[in-house]
Amino acid sequence: MTTTSTTPAPSSQPSAASRRARLSLGAALPYAIAVVAAFAVVAVLIVALGHDPIQAFRAVLTNSFRNQTGVVQTLQKWVPLTLLALAFVIPLAAGRFNIGGEGQMILGATGAVAVGIVGSGLPAAVLLPLVVLAGVLAGALWAAVSAWLMDRFSVNEILSTVLLNFVSFELLDYIASSVWSDPGAGGAVTIPIAAAAELPTVGRPPMHIGVILVAFLAAGAAVLARRSTAGYELRAVGLNERAAKLHGIRTSRVAVASMVVAGAIGGLAGAVEVVGVHHRMLEGIQSNFLLLGIIIGLIARGSLTAVPFVAFGIAVLEVGAGSMQRASGVPVEIVLILEGLILLFLLMSDVIADRVRRSRTVAVAAQEATA
Amino acid sequence: MNEFVILTITAMVPFVFVAQGTMLSGRAGIFNVAQEGLMLLGAAVGYLVSLSVGSDLAGLVVAGFAGAVFGLILAWATTYLRLDQFVVGLALFFLSGGTASLLYRLVIGQDEPPRIKPLPEVVLGLDAMVLAAVALSVALWWWLYRTDAGMRLRSVGENPKAADALGIPVFRTRMVAGTVGAALMAVGGAYLPMVFSGVYADGIVAGRGWLAIALAFFGGWRPQFILIGSAFFAAMDVLAQKAQVTGLGIPHQFVSMLPYLATLLVMVFAFRWALVPGFLGRNYDRESRITS
Repeated sequence: MTTTSTTPAPSSQPSAASRRARLSLGAALPYAIAVVAAFAVVAVLIVALGHDPIQAFRAVLTNSFRNQTGVVQTLQKWVPLTLLALAFVIPLAAGRFNIGGEGQMILGATGAVAVGIVGSGLPAAVLLPLVVLAGVLAGALWAAVSAWLMDRFSVNEILSTVLLNFVSFELLDYIASSVWSDPGAGGAVTIPIAAAAELPTVGRPPMHIGVILVAFLAAGAAVLARRSTAGYELRAVGLNERAAKLHGIRTSRVAVASMVVAGAIGGLAGAVEVVGVHHRMLEGIQSNFLLLGIIIGLIARGSLTAVPFVAFGIAVLEVGAGSMQRASGVPVEIVLILEGLILLFLLMSDVIADRVRRSRTVAVAAQEATA
Repeated sequence: MNEFVILTITAMVPFVFVAQGTMLSGRAGIFNVAQEGLMLLGAAVGYLVSLSVGSDLAGLVVAGFAGAVFGLILAWATTYLRLDQFVVGLALFFLSGGTASLLYRLVIGQDEPPRIKPLPEVVLGLDAMVLAAVALSVALWWWLYRTDAGMRLRSVGENPKAADALGIPVFRTRMVAGTVGAALMAVGGAYLPMVFSGVYADGIVAGRGWLAIALAFFGGWRPQFILIGSAFFAAMDVLAQKAQVTGLGIPHQFVSMLPYLATLLVMVFAFRWALVPGFLGRNYDRESRITS
């Protein structure tokens, strides 16, 4: 503290500070504390269950790096996790909650599968971009419904996105078991898309290039959020909607746009899963990416810069969970508890940091007063 | 009684408990979003206790206590530490959901789970929890709107600064409402294995927790409308299932969409009365000079 004011500094809300979270030591320290504390609690839990925590942690953390397959698996899981986290974080910056990531993802997958099947015969250079675009547009449109209801009728966006998720599950079931059903697959699975619509792969074992594209997208989104006018307006609306409005920002338009962009990103996640991983659409394609996306966004404290890194950590945990159960007998549910604890302890460490900062400010002020 | 009515009322019960719990917490300003996990916890604890003790009532009570513990953590972290409610709620959702699966896995393992006996029928083919759900709704309405204590709780959720100035214990009210609300959510979850399946499964809640949040908004955070909304939603759901069996000439998936679309449509037309507690989801800072 270099300020010499005699009045205590106004209490800084952790959330306001967190939005400006930089990858500096000050920001990294709570993360380190939270992760270590969460692992410690889980280790106690594993011992209580009668297993060896060291062996379990080694299995969960090294699985992604032991061989090429693990690396590719982790990176391909990282793609939807990053995209769904972005789809959650962008409206969050404007103070809106998008819980519809999985619905937007399913619509994206539906759009991609539809174009990928109907458009067979087109050359790859035309078909592949069309397929991805269809997914992005379908996702954006799905989110636009919620955004419109929010803007026009003040229907709470949590409510509409959650309800539309359930509608999308039924839509997926209909498409996969009635429209383009694959009779040989058993269960709700569509026929494969045209080979020309599949994403090219690199390396061995093959990794789809969606990983590289999403890395660029995430970097671009982080820069835009910090440097562009749109990003500034987005943050302004989230921090103080009334002040933003008074300064001439069209707040409702920013909020609607944030939802639509989120939907487009969710749709992209669905399209990439179709063209990159499954090459078809199947029931359960959304996995638990929505919830993991939300928790990633929250651990990243809404920072678009931090999202890809946190998503990578969660991808490692998720890929390693199965191997941990096989290697040491510790149930996979432990990973869920670990993720919840990391988030909880991160919040707690914010409180402690805030208390320390406050007491230091008060001490400085007292010194000034006596001097 | 008519089979359709019985099915509807039974399907309504978990929604009533969870949505009323959401409403009770929300009316004191605490927006709980851990329903899905708390219901799963309630289902696991309720099933396991009921199995080992042989009494469904014990299962319901212990499930309620398990939910109360998580509710207490949520209320404490948001009231005294003023942590973000949404974030803490989701962290607790992960923790409670993980705990539920873990408990079940530890006790039952990979074996074929034994079934617990269903709740006994009390009147007209309905079990006691149906009566409890309706009684709870009526009692909550009466308490919130016809007693001083209820009005105090509502004032905490609308304007805690004013409530504080009047000497209403804002912090304590939030702690109690958050804890009891979460207990109700877990009880609603415990009902699921006792009536529908007889066993616990990780997918047993199937999004009902999220729908309960939707129902709290749908009912304008008022117990009487939440009861009606839950009944409406359950009726639509049962109708959709019936149409699936008999067939209407349209794909059954579109019929299954109807409850969700109908709820959304009602919200569109009801947006004028769909009130939300003024301080919902926010934390009260006693030292802040910013009013409301």
